[in-house]
Amino acid sequence: MNIRLMSLLTLTAALVACGSVPERNLALDQARGNFNQAEHDPEVLGLAPAELKLANESLMQAQQSWTSGAPRSTVDHLAYIASQRVAIARETASSTAYQSISSGAAAKREQVRLAARTEEAKKAQQQLALSQQSNARKDEQVNDLEAQLKDLNARRTDRGMVVTLGDILFDSGKSQLLPGAQGNMAKLADVFKRNPQRTASIEGYTDNVGSVSSNLELSSRRANAVMAALVSEGVPAMRLSAKSFGEGNPVASNDTPAGRQMNRRVEIVFAQESVRILAQ
Amino acid sequence: MKIAPLINQATKVLPLTLAFGFALSMGGCASTPVPNERMAVAEAAVARANSTGTSENAASQLLVATTKLERARQAVIDKDNELAAQLSEQVVLDAQVAELHAQSERSRKAAAESKDAARALSEEINRKPAQ
Repeated sequence: MNIRLMSLLTLTAALVACGSVPERNLALDQARGNFNQAEHDPEVLGLAPAELKLANESLMQAQQSWTSGAPRSTVDHLAYIASQRVAIARETASSTAYQSISSGAAAKREQVRLAARTEEAKKAQQQLALSQQSNARKDEQVNDLEAQLKDLNARRTDRGMVVTLGDILFDSGKSQLLPGAQGNMAKLADVFKRNPQRTASIEGYTDNVGSVSSNLELSSRRANAVMAALVSEGVPAMRLSAKSFGEGNPVASNDTPAGRQMNRRVEIVFAQESVRILAQ
Repeated sequence: MKIAPLINQATKVLPLTLAFGFALSMGGCASTPVPNERMAVAEAAVARANSTGTSENAASQLLVATTKLERARQAVIDKDNELAAQLSEQVVLDAQVAELHAQSERSRKAAAESKDAARALSEEINRKPAQ
């Protein structure tokens, strides 16, 4: 016990011998100020805790040397070390903070790019859906027309939907529509009304009985009669055209009465709407 | 009976303790060995920090380290080993501060560029749909 006390006294005496304890040390005050500021800076506290701890240890060492009366040069030196350790903590923190801004900005850039790509994909998808929808609508319209013409025994051909009006609608050799045709004409006019985009050509045909020219003339008159009937039902003439083929394009043999009857006809050909849409 | 030997022992030890304390105080105030190791560390730290990147972004901090290293070398020549030891210790930290400051500056510039790039990109993308 005595020995320890003795040596402590001697040590204190020795330290005092080096110089008297100054009232204040500017470098130490400054180091303390620097540290306190850094310690209350959330950036430094959060991003450089290890460096801040080292600075604190250095500061405590400087403080201790000052309170124990170490020479001014020693206190100055230790205070400087503490201040530089605070600077290291600060630089480390700001470096890390800037780096996180960089990576944050890079992440944001990626996000923006991704969002743009997603948007593009979405648009493409919408476009696809739209075109699919319009295709579906086209199909629907065709189907719809088909359904509407079903009563009229329409057939689907390369030229479009074809409604055949048989020769029972006309008196033999005449082009006057019989009253029985009225029902069919009203149905046809209704189809035109419901499909305002549709146009049709009205084609007249005959069998091979009689001269070619008279057959041509008869088929022309009959086609025109059908056209006139449709116009009188309210179908705009602009959407209709009448053509005559005479005994051309027979659909059956002219050798039998049944075949000849089939060949005497007026066909109403509805133009393919999809063709018209593509041409637009 | 018991106190006498203790006092006796204390009187024997006292001069030794005083001598030890004196030696210690002498050591603290004056002669310290040449800080060869510390000088080498300081030289290496400055050499490491002395790059174009550091001189561009932390010129003044680097200057502090290099001039102080010069002073430490002079102190060795002057046989002021205590000063040389302190200066060399400071130089290591000065060099580190210079390096870190340069790094922080580079990061700051990179962050600014990054932000600009991000802004430019979003502006460009925002402009697209208006086409």
